[in-house]
Amino acid sequence: MWSYILKRIVQSVGVILGVTLITFLALHMGGDPTYLYVSERASAEEIAATRATLGFDRPLHVQYLSFLGGLVRGDLGNSLSYRTPALQVVLERFPATLELTLFAMLIAILFSIPLGVVSSLKRGTPVDGSIMMVAMFGQSIPSFWLGIMLILFVGLGLGWLPISGHVPILAPLFQGDLATAWANFPRAVPYLVMPAVSISLFSLSRNARLVRSSMLEVLSQDYVRTARAKGIPPYGVVVRHALRNAWMPVVTMLGLEFGFLLSGVVVVETIFSWPGVGRLVFNAINQRDIPLVQAAVILFSLLFVGLNLLVDLLYARLDPRVRLG
Amino acid sequence: MNTRTLLLPLLCALSVAAAQAPDDTTLVVAQTTDATTFDPAEIGDRASANIADHLWGTLLEITPEGEIIPYLAESYEVSDDGTELSFTLREGLTCHDGEALTAEDVAYTFQRAADPENGFTGNTPGFVLTSIGYQDARADDELTATVVMNQPNAIAPGLLAEVYIHCKDSYEAMSLEAASTNPIGSGPYRFVEWIRDDRVVLEKVEDFPLVESTFQTLVWRAIPEASTRSAELIAGNVDVVAGVSPDQQDAINNSGAATVIPVSGTRRIYVGFNFKPEFAEASDGGAAIQETAVRVALQYAVDVPTICETLLGTQCERATGLVNPPNDNPNLEPYPYDPEMAEQLLDEAGYPRGDDGVRFSLTLQSPNGRYLNDANVALAVGQYLSDIGVETTVEPMDFASVYVPLIREHDAGPLFLLGSGGGLWSALYDMTDLATPESGTNYTEWQNPEWFAGWERLAQAEGEAEQRTIINEMLEVFYNDPPWLMLYFQPDFYGVSSRLDWEPRRDEHIDVTNAALASN
Repeated sequence: MWSYILKRIVQSVGVILGVTLITFLALHMGGDPTYLYVSERASAEEIAATRATLGFDRPLHVQYLSFLGGLVRGDLGNSLSYRTPALQVVLERFPATLELTLFAMLIAILFSIPLGVVSSLKRGTPVDGSIMMVAMFGQSIPSFWLGIMLILFVGLGLGWLPISGHVPILAPLFQGDLATAWANFPRAVPYLVMPAVSISLFSLSRNARLVRSSMLEVLSQDYVRTARAKGIPPYGVVVRHALRNAWMPVVTMLGLEFGFLLSGVVVVETIFSWPGVGRLVFNAINQRDIPLVQAAVILFSLLFVGLNLLVDLLYARLDPRVRLG
Repeated sequence: MNTRTLLLPLLCALSVAAAQAPDDTTLVVAQTTDATTFDPAEIGDRASANIADHLWGTLLEITPEGEIIPYLAESYEVSDDGTELSFTLREGLTCHDGEALTAEDVAYTFQRAADPENGFTGNTPGFVLTSIGYQDARADDELTATVVMNQPNAIAPGLLAEVYIHCKDSYEAMSLEAASTNPIGSGPYRFVEWIRDDRVVLEKVEDFPLVESTFQTLVWRAIPEASTRSAELIAGNVDVVAGVSPDQQDAINNSGAATVIPVSGTRRIYVGFNFKPEFAEASDGGAAIQETAVRVALQYAVDVPTICETLLGTQCERATGLVNPPNDNPNLEPYPYDPEMAEQLLDEAGYPRGDDGVRFSLTLQSPNGRYLNDANVALAVGQYLSDIGVETTVEPMDFASVYVPLIREHDAGPLFLLGSGGGLWSALYDMTDLATPESGTNYTEWQNPEWFAGWERLAQAEGEAEQRTIINEMLEVFYNDPPWLMLYFQPDFYGVSSRLDWEPRRDEHIDVTNAALASN
């Protein structure tokens, strides 16, 4: 077990290094961003001085090695637009993104499992067909379009939910202010609903289809037939025997799910004015704030890799046949 | 905690979810982006500056009509040799921490911004101080501060109206990092809170002597998506929205909750002709545009009013040069849309249509998404030019990563679309884009000797009348030997709530100190 974890951590370091390299090269392919941070009327000397201050006058490999050195020390440089440590700027926005992602995951899980189970139990009926048709639409609708439609009809037309904005829950919680976090919770939920639905619909639909196919496979197994033959009520057969075994592919998917939802927040946070990392990255790319984009990408990569490792470990716990090593 | 305890507040919250409309003492403004910093010396972007304009006072102020009037300073004098501007402060001014605002604070404001150790690149050190040739600032007495420049500068007063005056003691006590998030102002509103990427809240300074504002609280929200801003305006949650998209005008105007007010902005949108020899050598079109007759002919080929009406959603008058009205040359008429004239002039210039109908070919580079409908405007211009036999290929580009380096190195072209910020308070301010042949902002590398000799004549001019005559002559030179294919002054669209009585300015500044609740 421990040797497996160690091996995975070493692999993860390789993955993160690869991510840093690709991100670094992609960001520098656009050229030197110095011009965006000097006045239009700056002289050639002033431009050169700013370039040197920002470190963009050095050869690319030197810049990359310097970046890696900083990464080891936890110093990802200063944001070019905010003039403060890039990691700090990203971490300030992270609680808002985490709230949105967790809420979206909750919606995806809460709705996909019952829908997938019902669909599998009603296989071939209009109920099954309807659920799968809706799921297909859910996978086809772009999140930005859905977000704008929700704003238009639910926020503006019906006036049921706030159109944009955010009330923090996790930020005060991380600062140890439980009372504020709890007090904010009921006010925060209405703000969460539309953006979370926008980014979760794809996952919800995909997971519903996954649960359905997994359930169909399990329901045809001998032990399910045996359970039925023993007179176990249908509910017990489905929940205790079938669903438990149909979980495995869903759990695997959940690990990737978080990363997928994180990628979705870039557009959705912008549409709903959600003050999270996604919107920050969107602006940082537009402003060519290289340290800020790198800090955000590294944070997301660490999360993604860490969660996948966690899922693999969980996999072994859920299924005793799986042996790690 | 049982389920009911959890659900009840949630249901209550949902039922009041849409009730976010501001009360009568609060004004909410939505901008496209959030502020990036609140260090007065580091502020450089318009979103930050709009908020900062309410936090800090400036020595002088520019009115919406472009007049320079006293503000924190009650008067100023220019030294005999023109290199020193001495400002006399009003008595009784204070900063928001209670410290008295004196000449020493004014001198400190300039010295702090210019200090290379601070590494500031904001508007004050990066633009104002470099433009005026700043040398030093000093306090002559309690209320008199002097700014020293390396040479006389006619537009220095207007430029200095952009410098946010702040108090020495509080800023000396703060680190740069603390100063970027804890503004201690000297203007009509004080800082309350900044939730990054969400909102900035300001509170009225009750005893501020220079402005009588109506609203107790100002909330500046950052809402990047245009349709979301419009929805918030229609829902009544926001009072003023900047950057309304032309396609959303009807929805807002028909809502009954708000109206869209278009203003002719001060940003000059033009197509530059690049005169670098590399372009002349690289293509027949690059060589053709070196000739004045060709550049004049191309002016007649483009129907600018139609571009405004169809692509920008408003009517506009074509520019006659690089100076914003009403400071432009009143004797010049915009080039009319006359494709026959364009063809005739090109024939006369020795560029007849070939067998394939093409006279010569050009590439028009353009940013995509930087200015209002920029790429589509470039495509329209390209089509107009193609219609008269100038085969034009339009290349829309990402602004930040590709276009800015090309422009700043003067490598965009041979045709390139650009927008350049201007002002209303002085013709000279707009003209300084072309202050010298080597100016960084002379993106076309235009070398007209008559134009650049004009600057020397201006330096010798005695009195405003003579100066105005020279300016008009220079603008005529620009008109007759155009380095730009002149288009329009970019219209700006503001969405304004029906509950509000407020007029937007032309210069992209959002000043809501004069806003009030509508009387009916």
